[in-house]
Amino acid sequence: MQELQQDTRRLPESVEMGSLMDALADSFTVEIEGKRSSVAAWYDTFDWRLYNHGYLLRHGDRHWHLLDRGSGETLVTSRAGTGRKRVFARDLPAGRLRALLEPVLDVRALLLLVTLQSEETRIRVLNRDRKTTVFVEFSRQQVRGTDTVLRLVRLVPVRGYDKPLRAVRAFFDEHGITGQVPLFYDFEQGLRAVGRAPGDYSSRFAIRLDPDLTARQAAITIYRHLLDTMLANEEGILRDLDTEFLHDFRVAIRRTRAGLAQMKKVLPADITATMKEEFAYLGRITGPVRDLDVYLLKERDYRARLPELLQEGLGTFFTDLAEQRRVEQKKLVRALRSPRYRQIVTTWDEYLRSDDPTPSAQGDVPVIDLARRIIRRRFKRIMKDGRAIDDSSPDEHLHRLRIQGKKLRYSLEFFRSLFPEDEVGSVIRQLKRLQNNLGDFNDLSVQQEMLARYLRGLRPGSRRNMELAAAIGGLLTNLFHEQQRVRKRFARTFSRFGSRKNVALFRKLFY
Amino acid sequence: MSVIAVYNIKGGVGKTATSVNLSYLSACQGNRTLLCDMDSQGSATYYFRIRPAKKFNTRKLLKGGKHIDRNIRGTDYPGLDLLPADFSYRNIDIALDDLKKSRQRISKILKPLREEYDHIFLDCPPNVTLLSENIFHAADRILVPLIPTTLSHLALGQLLDFLKEIGQDRGKVLVFFSMVEKRKKMHGEMMRLLRDEPGVLPCGIPFLADVEKMGIYRQPVAAMLPNSAAAESYRVLWDAICGKLERP
Repeated sequence: MQELQQDTRRLPESVEMGSLMDALADSFTVEIEGKRSSVAAWYDTFDWRLYNHGYLLRHGDRHWHLLDRGSGETLVTSRAGTGRKRVFARDLPAGRLRALLEPVLDVRALLLLVTLQSEETRIRVLNRDRKTTVFVEFSRQQVRGTDTVLRLVRLVPVRGYDKPLRAVRAFFDEHGITGQVPLFYDFEQGLRAVGRAPGDYSSRFAIRLDPDLTARQAAITIYRHLLDTMLANEEGILRDLDTEFLHDFRVAIRRTRAGLAQMKKVLPADITATMKEEFAYLGRITGPVRDLDVYLLKERDYRARLPELLQEGLGTFFTDLAEQRRVEQKKLVRALRSPRYRQIVTTWDEYLRSDDPTPSAQGDVPVIDLARRIIRRRFKRIMKDGRAIDDSSPDEHLHRLRIQGKKLRYSLEFFRSLFPEDEVGSVIRQLKRLQNNLGDFNDLSVQQEMLARYLRGLRPGSRRNMELAAAIGGLLTNLFHEQQRVRKRFARTFSRFGSRKNVALFRKLFY
Repeated sequence: MSVIAVYNIKGGVGKTATSVNLSYLSACQGNRTLLCDMDSQGSATYYFRIRPAKKFNTRKLLKGGKHIDRNIRGTDYPGLDLLPADFSYRNIDIALDDLKKSRQRISKILKPLREEYDHIFLDCPPNVTLLSENIFHAADRILVPLIPTTLSHLALGQLLDFLKEIGQDRGKVLVFFSMVEKRKKMHGEMMRLLRDEPGVLPCGIPFLADVEKMGIYRQPVAAMLPNSAAAESYRVLWDAICGKLERP
């Protein structure tokens, strides 16, 4: 089909829709179809995964419609009862829609962004055979929960009937209805009315620091961004929409803590000390739910590690975890609604806004100097510790190195905008590889410890617990073997990180 | 993507009504659908209230490409386009005969359209001609409306023999019963007799006044009277065909 040019126009406030329709009926032979109401509900994840992927997703008329954001083309239409406020990939109807969206959404939930309620009148412009030559669709769309109303007229061409289309266009031009609106105007206006904008949240840490800033100004900018991330995720945690709200919240906490530790003399000593303690507390109260989430997200992976015979026993394990999570989530909600939490956040927020004049030891240093010093120190430390590790080193040394790696990663990300993008990007990529290895190793130890603890807590006697214990035993073995494989890869991964080329790049950038 | 030719050697068996309604139902399901009216009488074209451009004729059709693009018309239904027939199609065999590879011309013309549409329906004229041979070559499925009478059965046999003769796969053929009259004993007997033959679909379109009236209201019966028995029987037929399309 030819890509039909879209022509949607906004009705100026002075134009009354009814009299415009009458005028159209006077100028052309038309057939006016009855009024129809429809509802369009737009969905995306909190971090705009569909939008960033070039998709838009609308639910209406008991169907999902997946649209191409660039061309407006409908990619998939799929039948599915009523839309809900939160939809995971697994809740979508099986078929092409789910197959396309599952890898994009991953563990994130689709959330209802905005709903538009629309009243439409369709007028068909006819020729002498009473054949439709142009469709003219008038609509009045209300953004649910707001006063915003869109009044639009859309001209839908019929292939091969260009002349009548030109005549209808001219009619609207003459009536002063010339304001063409872009594709998905309704979606954009709807979002604006409810106070959202595409891409208004991303879990990536991306701030631009001006190289002329002082260390203190830069630190404030960084902390500000991290606190905003925390605040943005609060509601999703309280409503338990998906696991990533808490995850992003915790990453922001960890980054803040890393910042307070690494840039310790940049803010006055007392505020640094207080906040370090407060953020450690935040880390503690958010830990249990996240730990359980990590295991619950592994359900499919764990099953795949076991022969069918042992999989049955895992059912009990995951039911137990889900129950524990329910309890921990309640505690977390209580903690986040407590005065103590409110106070931490408010104090920090106010401090970051305050322009505190109290002098600090390192506050006036140019940010670039501070950045170089921190990164240099972290890098040296990793090289020293990493080189000391061989096949006989205790696991503990690898865990320590992982922490070092994390610290370096955070500082590189804090300050990446101060250095040439491609070079700092390359450094981060190398570090990421090392971190993946160390991270896998650590995850596998933590999982084994947790499973062993769980196993010790089981009471023998019942058939159910026997099957459960067998499943846990099978998993422990499997994870242990994998951990050994990961450990074997460490030496090669580290030597690549410590390659002459990579070290030279570090020296060039940060020395 | 499939090209479905609606064909019978005999005329007046409900080919056009079938093409019009099935292409409409296909488009309703969100398939980009094109109906090519290949019959010089232009009945399908008339049903959709479309007139071919004055400049459109057999020569333009056989040239294909932009000459066809320019002449495709949108119907009143979203997703459904129509390539109108021209009266000059009555001499199409003579024109085809003058061309090289005269048996594959229609196939060649449809090739670019296969990219653009999910389903292409060909409403074919009756008789066995060079054009029908072209159409058998181009079609993925040959849908044969069959009035359950002895003579129709005979005609089906002729068609199958002819396909064999020109080396076409007889498995392409899908037969359904058309203009079925319950009160006629012969219809019942013929249907029982043919029911288990390969390629015979287990559904039929009854002989109904609503279908005949399409000439008056000039719309697919499934659009004009969506709750009628006629519309329902076309929906059942279309579902059965879709089931066969998925399995090549």
